[in-house]
Amino acid sequence: MDHRQYNYSEFVVSPNEFLEFAQHAPKVTMRAPSFPLEDLATGKTVEMKELWKDGITVIEFGSFT
Amino acid sequence: MERLADRYASRAVRSVFICTREAHPGENYRHHRSMDDKRRNARAFVEHSKLRRQILLDDLEGSAHRAYGLLPNMTWIVGRGGLIYYKSAWTSDADVANALEGALDFQANRAKNQWVAFYSERIAWSTRDQARFREGLVRAGPQAVADYERMLQASGASRDAPSPDVGPRVPGNFYKTEEESEKK
Repeated sequence: MDHRQYNYSEFVVSPNEFLEFAQHAPKVTMRAPSFPLEDLATGKTVEMKELWKDGITVIEFGSFT
Repeated sequence: MERLADRYASRAVRSVFICTREAHPGENYRHHRSMDDKRRNARAFVEHSKLRRQILLDDLEGSAHRAYGLLPNMTWIVGRGGLIYYKSAWTSDADVANALEGALDFQANRAKNQWVAFYSERIAWSTRDQARFREGLVRAGPQAVADYERMLQASGASRDAPSPDVGPRVPGNFYKTEEESEKK
């Protein structure tokens, strides 16, 4: 999936997206995958694994819209 | 979620928000064609919603978002070392708080001899402020409103009422009765 497919210009719900989430996204008790992210405030790269290095982290995904 | 983040910060819980693609792009906040688009919309979001949590941007391809399941407003709780304590298809303050208490209790008591950790799944429910949700669509632009209306009409989600044995006919409930399963 390239960025044009990922960033759709019109909202179209996928009927199976919740099922996919339940069946194929990482499960509770597994190790969380880590990806590099950009800190909006500083512009610096933050590795996700740094978030949970010292304790519990709540991660919410979302957008303005 | 901001208040929840503040409340649990004193208990050494870190809270972050990861910006994904726009869920309901419209004329005012369009889909991202570049990281600058993503930064611009994220800054507008921070200003509008007065976010205090650390805001992190996924890459333009949504690498992290896709790896975690691609839903528009999911929440995860991850413990030290990357152990996933909680995954939720939707974000509910009350449900997250409940899960956090469990995770903190587990951390505090894991050294005790008489406990057993176990895997668990459950259905969670949350009320939704429809007026506020609509405000968000309007803020995004007429296209966002129209796209959402089209989805409701196509799925029938706005017409079907919950029934005791099946639950609400909304995205996120993939239960099928025996009769429905046999139709496929």
